[in-house]
This record gives sequence, structure tokens and C-alpha cells, in this order.
Amino acid sequence: MTTDQTAPTSVDPGAPIRARAQVVSNLSEGEANHRIELRVERWPQWQPGQFVMLAPGAESAAPRYDPLLPRPMAIYTADSKGNFDQVSVLYKVEGRGTRLLAAAEPGEHVRMVGPLGTGFELPPEGHHAILVGGGTGTASLYSLARAALERGPVSVILGARRAALLMAESDFEKLGAKLHIVTEDGSRGEQGLVTDVLGPLLAEGGDPAIVYACGPTPMMRACHRLTREAGVSCRVALENRMACGFGACLGCAVPMAEGGFSLVCKQGPVYDADTLEWEGIP
Amino acid sequence: MSGVDTRTNLAGIELRNPVLTASGTFGYGTEFKAFMDLRRIGGFVAKSLTLEPRFGNPPPRIAEVRAGMLNAISLENVGVEAFINEKLPEIPDGVPVIASLFGTEIPAYAEVAKRLTGVPKVAGLEVNASCPHVKSGGIEFGQNPVVLAELVRTVRAATDAPLLVKLSPNVTSIAEMARVCEGEGADGISLINAVQAMDVDVRSRRPVLKNILGGFSGPAILPLALRMVWQAAQAVKLPLCGIGGITDADDAIKFLLCGATAVQVGTANYTNPMAAAEIAEGIAAYADANGFARTADLTGALEAP
Repeated sequence: MTTDQTAPTSVDPGAPIRARAQVVSNLSEGEANHRIELRVERWPQWQPGQFVMLAPGAESAAPRYDPLLPRPMAIYTADSKGNFDQVSVLYKVEGRGTRLLAAAEPGEHVRMVGPLGTGFELPPEGHHAILVGGGTGTASLYSLARAALERGPVSVILGARRAALLMAESDFEKLGAKLHIVTEDGSRGEQGLVTDVLGPLLAEGGDPAIVYACGPTPMMRACHRLTREAGVSCRVALENRMACGFGACLGCAVPMAEGGFSLVCKQGPVYDADTLEWEGIP
Repeated sequence: MSGVDTRTNLAGIELRNPVLTASGTFGYGTEFKAFMDLRRIGGFVAKSLTLEPRFGNPPPRIAEVRAGMLNAISLENVGVEAFINEKLPEIPDGVPVIASLFGTEIPAYAEVAKRLTGVPKVAGLEVNASCPHVKSGGIEFGQNPVVLAELVRTVRAATDAPLLVKLSPNVTSIAEMARVCEGEGADGISLINAVQAMDVDVRSRRPVLKNILGGFSGPAILPLALRMVWQAAQAVKLPLCGIGGITDADDAIKFLLCGATAVQVGTANYTNPMAAAEIAEGIAAYADANGFARTADLTGALEAP
């Protein structure tokens, strides 16, 4: 089953597959941010917020054990292109794995496992969805924004340390959501932190709000604090280290408020922020 | 591959082929059903079980290192009852399950072994001897030959199921530990478990794992594991199950040639959930191409240097 041009809504995701995906394009979008477009024969049903495990580098490179493990990355979009499907992923070149991924040329193949994890539930009817993305966390939110706009008003706050590290700004502009841009150095949009915008937005009143946040842990923790003060629900998508992505290695566990741990790759990466033990999340 | 007989008997456990998956890397088997028919592999060793469910360590629990990874999960598991009642029914018939077990005291091992004995689908048991022994001040059971002997003797007395003992590599003489297992009535030996290791992030000047120490696994440890399997094969007659960094069929064949009856694939399951099945098919292809009628004939077929 293929997805159509709009993001899937509340469909149950299909079983994950291990795909040999052909690189359609793999381009830099500014300083360290990249966008890779991958062609697969058939991509399962998926939800915004789900992720893939992407092997570093092209398959054609010699058997490579360093780096060894695949990298978890949010599915940015996955759309039908007729007789094949195309999955796109945004990533930031940070270490050896992502440097190798950035070197994969169009026509080469990479190994990808997905869709994995439990994605976002769409906002309830009549709610104002406020999406807060910090740095690479922005990538988890685009398909959610696309789907949420079909149900009600959507505001998007995108932040980064400086302009060159903002992700996917023009894509969000085209969606028609109300967009707020914030940079810590003021090189684009307002100067400050995403929470400087979120606070006043929550205070505006109007439709009941629901917040979706993805970004660095301190950012998500701060968003959670603001939503609690405002009595608003907050969902976060965590970005943890993982070895497998499908529940075998138990490496991605996060502590829960009620005690015990939860696997980010299975029960997550999306959580109700109230259920997490934030002090224990690195 | 047509004519090659891949059947293997490991310590009384009939296997379709000599490739198992290693405990702690294959969950309870259910996690891999989406990716492959579990009947393509010889069987799997489930995540180590205790009497009661156990939570693991706080994060970060894993880190990547050169050609491998470190983990400090700390034996998180659902407990033996949930395994029997909730996990086993999800496993298709015809997939031998080897249940791994541990405790922090010797009697606890024996209790888990008793509970698992005679349970349908459980084809055998594997004692995880790499767990810290509380009475020995946290030294692993498998690091002290006297403690290891008592452990194997006690579990042996508690079960008539095929019994494998999985050895720790963190020892001076693996041959001595193998002889202890043989002397106390084990049916086979699995080796090696992860190698104790650590790594440091120089930017934060912190250990990469919250637990500081972790188990090192992956392709980097293969030569170390192979050496230990070869030494154990010289020391005992018990069947051996070779483990350590196996990523492709050639890796697995090395262990068979050095004396292993079967192998377990571990960390490679993370990078490729179908790795074990592909390795099993690769061993059969190698046997066929090299004139071995049975993959079992590869065991100990190492030529003189």
C-alpha cells in the first residue's frame, strides 16, 4: 500500500521492512543540514513522528565496521511517486556516520529499516496545534504539520542557534501554517529561544491548545514546564541513541515518571511529556 | 546448496542449521518476526531471565566504539512467568528456543532453571555466568572456578534439560573454566560473552556510559573470541557454541573450523535483522562449494598451519 500526497492520518502503521533504498538526491541545505531522498519499491503505512534506521554511507562502500550501527532519523515525508515510493530524511552532519551518509551519491543504495516506533496522534478536533522544533528536531514535525492543517489551526515555532542551522524553513512557509522563526544569535527571525514565543502564544487564549515539541532535551523540558503552567497537553518526540530501532537492544530506554523505563523505539519516540522522568533523561 | 545437510545437534538440541542468535541481542524473538521467518535460523537464545521482572540501568546504556559497541543494559527482563505466558506463545512452532537464565545468587539460578524445564518450545537452557555474584563482592560467577563449579553443579541438579553454560571472557584461563563446566555435568559451552570495557567522551570528560563499564561486542572482538573457542576446543570434549563479532558467513565458518558445533550471531542482528538467516544460508553455500556434504563436517576442520 502506498501513501498519497497528503501525510497519513491516524492509520495504523504497517510492519517495518528492511529496504535497499536508492539515493535519488542527497543535497546540502546550508551549513550542516542535508536532505536525502530515497526511492523504495513500496513503503508501508506510516505515521508522522515515526523514524527509520539508516545505515551510514552507501552500500557499495567496502564492508564497513566503523561506524558500525545504523542511525535513527525521523521520516520527513514518504510519498507515492507512481510505481515507487519516495522517503525523505533531513539530517545534520555531526559525526562520522552522518559524514559518510552525506557522501552517498545519487544512484547508490543505502540500507534502511522502517517505519519504526509509535508516531503522533493528530490533534483533537477544534484544537490549536502548536508545533515547536529545535534544530534537527524540526524534521519530526513537518508531516505532522501537514496532516494537522487538514483538521484545524496550526502554529509552528522553529528555532536554532543561528540562521544556517534552521531546518526546512521554506517547506513550513509553503504549508500555510502560522510560522515563527527564532535564533539564539538573532541572525534570522526573533532573537531568543523557542520558549520565548511559546509562552505568550499559550497565554493568548482562544481555541484549546496542544503542543508538540521535538528538539534538544533542555528545550523539550522547558516546553513541558510552560505547558504545565498553562494547563495544556504536551507531546514530545525523543531522539535517543539506539542500536537496533525495533526493541531488541534495550539501549534507548528512558525513565518514566511512574518508575521503570520505556523503550523510545517501541512505546516512543512520541510521549505525553507528563509521563517522562525528565531529570533522568540525558 | 541443494545437497548439503545443515542439521546440527548441539548438546542434545536438534537444530535445522548451526546458526543461533545470542542472548540479549534478539529480544524474545518476537521483535524479529516482521523481518524474517524465524524458521530460517537454527533457533535463538532469548534474553536472560530472572524469577522476577527486572529494570535495567539508567541511560545512556549504549555507545558506539570502533567496530563495535558497548552496552550496560544490566539484564533488564520481563521475568520467567511473563516469558512463559506472554512471549513463548508468540513464537511459531518449529523454532527451538534456548532460554537464558541468571540470578545474583546461585539458588536463584536453580529456581529459574526448574521453572523453565519441560516448558513446551524451550529446547534447552543457557546459564549466563557473566552476572555479578553478590556474595563474591560483584565478581562475575564465571570469573572464579570454584563459584562457577558450584553454579553449574546446582543448576545441573535442578534440570534435565540440555544445559549450556555461557562463559565470561574476562578470565585468565578460558580452558580452565571450560573444564569446570565439563566436570560439573554441563552439556555444552557457549562462548564468549561481551568483554568488559569502557570509553570516554573527551569533550565532556565523562564516561560514555552512565554505568562507566559496559560489555564490548561487535566485529572488533572476533579474533579474541575465536582464540578462546579454539583454546576451549583443545581443553574439553563438550560441544561448543561460538560467539563473538560474527557478521557474515565467513566469520561463522571460522568458529566452526576452530571447533564450534554451532554459532550465535549477536550485535549483527542490530545492523541487519536478517543477518543470522543470511549467515546460515552462506554456511551451506560454503559447504557445498568446498565439498562438505554436511555443515557439521566443518566443525574442527581447521588445517595445520
